[in-house]
Amino acid sequence: MSRSISIGSGSAYSTDRLDWAQELADSGLVDYMGFDCLAERTMALAQVRRLDDETAGHDQRIPELMRRFAGFLRRGGKMVGNFGAANPAAAADDVLRGLKLNGVTGVRVGVIHGDDVLDHVLDQDLELPEMGVTAQAIAAQVVSANAYIGADPIVELLEEGAQFILGGRIADPSLYVGPIAYEMGWALDDWEKMGTATLVAHLLECGTHATGGNYVDPPYRVLDDIVHLGFPLAHVSEDELVITKLEGTGGAVDIGTMKTQLAYEIHDPAAYLTPDSTADFSQVWVEEVGPNRVRVGGASGRPRPDSLKVLVGVDQGWKVVTEISYGGAGCVERAQLAAEVVAKRLEPYQSGIDEIRYDLHGMSALFDGQLPGGDPAEVRLRIAARCDDRETADAVAFEGQFLWMGPAGGGGVATQMAPAIGVTPALLPREDMKLITEVIEA
Amino acid sequence: MKLREFAYSRSGDKGDIVNLCVFVYDDANWEVLRRELTVEKVRDKFGSLVKGEITRYELPGTKGLNFVMTEALGGGVSMSLRTDPHGKSYQSLILEIDIDADEEIKR
Repeated sequence: MSRSISIGSGSAYSTDRLDWAQELADSGLVDYMGFDCLAERTMALAQVRRLDDETAGHDQRIPELMRRFAGFLRRGGKMVGNFGAANPAAAADDVLRGLKLNGVTGVRVGVIHGDDVLDHVLDQDLELPEMGVTAQAIAAQVVSANAYIGADPIVELLEEGAQFILGGRIADPSLYVGPIAYEMGWALDDWEKMGTATLVAHLLECGTHATGGNYVDPPYRVLDDIVHLGFPLAHVSEDELVITKLEGTGGAVDIGTMKTQLAYEIHDPAAYLTPDSTADFSQVWVEEVGPNRVRVGGASGRPRPDSLKVLVGVDQGWKVVTEISYGGAGCVERAQLAAEVVAKRLEPYQSGIDEIRYDLHGMSALFDGQLPGGDPAEVRLRIAARCDDRETADAVAFEGQFLWMGPAGGGGVATQMAPAIGVTPALLPREDMKLITEVIEA
Repeated sequence: MKLREFAYSRSGDKGDIVNLCVFVYDDANWEVLRRELTVEKVRDKFGSLVKGEITRYELPGTKGLNFVMTEALGGGVSMSLRTDPHGKSYQSLILEIDIDADEEIKR
């Protein structure tokens, strides 16, 4: 019998909705579900949560996840996700607890440890090119470093019979490349096949981004129903690659949604770098073969990069945002005057303010004035600052609120305050990350 | 005419780098897109938003362009103080570019 796999997308970020993913899992259309739970910053924030509490720092949706996907697991469905974030061991505990609570037995849970490379980054004083420094130069601020995990340990765990696989910073596409390689019998150093698997993975990894999310732009890009989007799934065989979605759901899998997802968050289309390959999407074609059914092909691949990307978390003090609205005639001038007043009042705090910016929603906040703002009925002044310490951030917040007593008619003050954790990339030689896999019998 | 009348786009972020892909609704307009949507036009439209380089790539298989812009997010999503630190809205800005090819564009 020829090999094939049906795999669905279950999540594209840490707070993605699980209800529609559950519909796909319960449909019986897929054998596997992949779950990406991490954005660049999620990982660093998770590390910070773990520093505060050693039982925290993993995906907080696991109890809900286990409740929703107990039926899928009972029917033999397999799940792969980077639910571990900064704490794979704690995630595994939660998964085991969830299996028990929902009466699911006989599931082998595979756990991937070892993507935390903070010691390496500091010991080897890796370069942080986007910040223009090396790690040691800002060592006191470096709070985390996680290298991207590829498909290798996933395949290894599937070979050992794992049905639920979790790890820390598993690369988004690798969550899908692993199961595809395993089921299709594709070698992880068959670069053409890895390029193909990565194409399918890339079309699935962003969930509803492939089915009509972040897409419609009336009157040019219109879909019938975007209220209840379906999550995408792929049928992979040696003959063809088909992307589709659950019947009866909204959105679309068509030429447009596939093309925008194909090029989403890629740089050189001929060299999409992942831990698994250097995938070439430049010659990829897409073809509609039925309603919400697209055939894709034309991907190729070259050897995987020798280095692994590492995301380094950097403590940057505090970030504060404070906003106030002005309306009617002269609102832009009053908002600008308010900004000038605040800037003057904050002069004594200047040394503690790393960066501050004043934007006018409705005029120039998104595009820096690159599009003319016209003569709006109302504007909202937004003051955003990154400060060395909480005291300075509090001062910015205070001055934002005190704009009650600024130019006339300012209303709707809102303030947000949070620790500022930046993430910045670095490159680590592949051999410097030592992964450990573990299988737990639930 | 505006690019939006015959093409669509999506922006994505990685660190402080934004990519903007642009595809035509009708394949017949691919050569016009290829000829008209230059790095210079994109740089002019984005101005102060992009501090670094802009590189243009082609996706011949899907008839699309991909613009990669460095130092384009005020430090990247985690560090930026901008309202839209991902640059999600950049896809709307690129579609504002004027393309002088009314006669040639098939609608």
